[in-house]
Amino acid sequence: MLATVSSATILGVEGRPVTVEVHVGPGLPGFTVVGLPDASCREARDRVRAAILCSQLEWPNRRVTVNLAPSSERKVGSGLDLAIALAVLAATEQVPSSAVRDLGCLGELGLDGTVRPVAGTVSLVDALSSSVVVVAASSAAEARLVGRHQVRPIERLGDAVLALRAEAPWPEPPEPPQAPPEPPPPDLSDVRGQPVARQALEIAAAGGHHVLFVGPPGAGKTMLARRLPGLLPPLAQLEALAATRVFSAAGVAVPGGGLITRPPFRAPHHSSTMVALVGGGTAALRPGEMSLATGGCLFLDELGEFPPSVVDALRQPLEEGVVRVARARASVTLPARFLLVAATNPCPCGEATEPGACRCSDAARARYRRRLSGPVLDRFDLRVEVHRPDPTALLSTEPGEATPAVAERVARARAVAAHRGVATNAAVPGERLDAVAPLTPGARRMLESALRQGRLTARGLARVRRVARTIADLDGQDGDAPLGAEPVALAMTLRSEASGYLESAA
Amino acid sequence: MLGTPPPPPPPPPPTTPHSGPSDGLPAADQRRDAGIGPEPRSEPTTLRSGSSEDLPAAAWWVALAGLPGMGPARLRALWDTSSGREAWRTVAAGRGHLVPEVAAVLGRTGAEVSERWARAARSHDVAERWEAHAGVVVTVLGDALHPGRLVDDVEPPVVLFAAGDLGAVAGPTVAVVGTRRCTRAGAEFAHELGVACAGAGVRVVSGLAVGIDTAGHRGALAAGPGGAPPVAVVGSGLDVVYPARSRALWAEVADRGVVLSEYPLGTEPARWRFPARNRLVAALADVVVVVESPRSGGSMYTVDEALRRDRKVLAVPGSVRSAASAGTNWLLSQGAEVACSPDDVLTAAGVTGAAADEGTLLDPRPRPTGDGRRVLRALGWEPASLDTLAGRTGLGLGALAVALDGLESDRWVDRDTGRVERRSRP
Repeated sequence: MLATVSSATILGVEGRPVTVEVHVGPGLPGFTVVGLPDASCREARDRVRAAILCSQLEWPNRRVTVNLAPSSERKVGSGLDLAIALAVLAATEQVPSSAVRDLGCLGELGLDGTVRPVAGTVSLVDALSSSVVVVAASSAAEARLVGRHQVRPIERLGDAVLALRAEAPWPEPPEPPQAPPEPPPPDLSDVRGQPVARQALEIAAAGGHHVLFVGPPGAGKTMLARRLPGLLPPLAQLEALAATRVFSAAGVAVPGGGLITRPPFRAPHHSSTMVALVGGGTAALRPGEMSLATGGCLFLDELGEFPPSVVDALRQPLEEGVVRVARARASVTLPARFLLVAATNPCPCGEATEPGACRCSDAARARYRRRLSGPVLDRFDLRVEVHRPDPTALLSTEPGEATPAVAERVARARAVAAHRGVATNAAVPGERLDAVAPLTPGARRMLESALRQGRLTARGLARVRRVARTIADLDGQDGDAPLGAEPVALAMTLRSEASGYLESAA
Repeated sequence: MLGTPPPPPPPPPPTTPHSGPSDGLPAADQRRDAGIGPEPRSEPTTLRSGSSEDLPAAAWWVALAGLPGMGPARLRALWDTSSGREAWRTVAAGRGHLVPEVAAVLGRTGAEVSERWARAARSHDVAERWEAHAGVVVTVLGDALHPGRLVDDVEPPVVLFAAGDLGAVAGPTVAVVGTRRCTRAGAEFAHELGVACAGAGVRVVSGLAVGIDTAGHRGALAAGPGGAPPVAVVGSGLDVVYPARSRALWAEVADRGVVLSEYPLGTEPARWRFPARNRLVAALADVVVVVESPRSGGSMYTVDEALRRDRKVLAVPGSVRSAASAGTNWLLSQGAEVACSPDDVLTAAGVTGAAADEGTLLDPRPRPTGDGRRVLRALGWEPASLDTLAGRTGLGLGALAVALDGLESDRWVDRDTGRVERRSRP
């Protein structure tokens, strides 16, 4: 009269195991679900009952109690439907109890008994300790990514019942048609001219340095930013799985199906809310755009148009690589290790960097700049002014250097950084800078003069050294040699070019 | 108080027909202790609202000038038809639009505007407003103090508020005008111009806006205490400093020269007030020099006003690629005189400049060599982006960055605005 089946529910990007206990006993016919189910979980009652009846199985005319253990944790979503249904069937001896003992079930039920996929399959499967996992056919690819379980894809509740009764083998539904491969990211050869911005992109990709493009509309800021993910190396196995878990948990379709291997590129619109970026919102604490960009790029176009609170919310994730979302009932830590690339106009009309062309009032310009100034601006190692390209460069038939060639240099520079024991040069801790980025006397003199004249701040100094290290690595210089004047001067130029303008009124 | 020297003794009582013998006090004259902002009067007031009959004529014009939507043209139309007190009564009764001369400048929305005036006038204590202006000089058209150039103007201001010495406006004047978004080179030229003019005894007139205006006035102040006093015309009340970061400059100009406004204290800057301000800049100047201006904008308005008044207009030529010089180059093509040096301007103003000593000083900066020289030559005097410089010099970005760092360190170039700009002086 009692049966248990394992399943899981999701919180953030983590699956939490849930034991579904069903008791069918004497009493007035009824069906109750206890153990903190949320609304969609409580609705399971109606779906499960209809699905069992439609699958030519018997619904017990007795008292049915479902307990979702541990009962102190909130259960979210419809993914427990299949487990509840099979536990009811086991408790009424319509399937043998022994058959469901080592079974993990994930899936939402339709009224006609079809099994539907649920969001977060990767994390949910990962949370299951049973050796066999039953999932909807279309989630099979995601479920297999975890690799610890025997995955049994089914399309209908009836399929599982027959297999558990050993009346039929587990079905082997045909693999869903392979999703069309992801189109390759746009190529850098489309960018004509703009040597400075191209160099900044390459440095950003190689060193993991956050980059801000400032310039008038039509200068190519967005075009440049979209070419950044193509320069990043493909994700390693662990990173790929982490990114796939986030996509799966957020219910975002994985391009190409299965595992995410290319660095994701997320470009939320500037009307996005804080929750959309940070995560949270639903009881499942759905991961936001910052987490979806993990392992890849978060692109904030029109940074100045984002609400200041949203921009400020970037600060902690930029420092720690994770975002902690706390709510009254639960708190989760979501991954948020991304390369931030942002673009902004210098003022509302966008022409402030062209002498004499701006039509904004002083107040409007100051207001716009206030949104950008301060601590967030400081997080950008590279702040590059983008100008409308020269007409002759635009019309030239000679294409710029293509993405693969640049990506190869980036990969080499990243390998040098990895040799130092850091993910990227941007992550070199301050106390290791003297060892990692020593200076030649010429470079030291140059920095000293810049510091004395107030062209460089103490805070900027560390960032300049990290960027200079990346420039030297890209240049193929010895990874331990002291930094010369050229990389240091270029790093200062790429950091300060737009800063004078941006901070002048701050 | 801005620490001005004690004012000269009050001139004879105003001769305006509007200040009748009933005025118990000399109208504008006793309020000549220059300063910005209301000051508590030393003697307890005898001018409370109950005794409004005793108010000087200027008080009524100050009150009228403070009504919403009251511009110089409308005020002038009222002036043409009646005395200050009568005009106030007409307006307060909501009959402003019934005066034919006023109706002509009000246009179709006359009744609405008149209604707004009447509403504002009801909550307006004339005597209290008048008292609030105790700290600034107030002159009304017809007063002996009203600057001559403005009295004879085609659109004279009815009432004028001044912080500083109103006498500063007498003498040769040059208006230095231009865009707020100027290049470094433009600001430097305006500064040079200010130094040269003030040094030669020519007053620099400007609007105290940021950019060229500020550079011109700073130049005039830099000429030292022997230089001609600077003259500024602003588009807001004298106590409403706009933009706020120019506060120190306002105070200094008021201290050494004069800051003028057509609007009572407390008036916020508004878009429509700036063209009216520019007309006064043109009216006060013998010569107008446009240093940098886009093809349209406030400076072009000043030029139009100057041409209406037969003032000489000079323009500083600039690069054909610089948007900041598009307006000045166009003026030159339309026949404006060329201002290639401060001497050109002084000659146009009918003054021979003192021998410029600034230019003859030896440049203390170390001469750039190697890549630095190459970059400086490629840069010229027009702001250039790094991309452009890299293209012109053929240098790699690293080498270019090193060269620019050296030039910046030696103060040959400046990168504050995101572009590289050459500096004419260290």
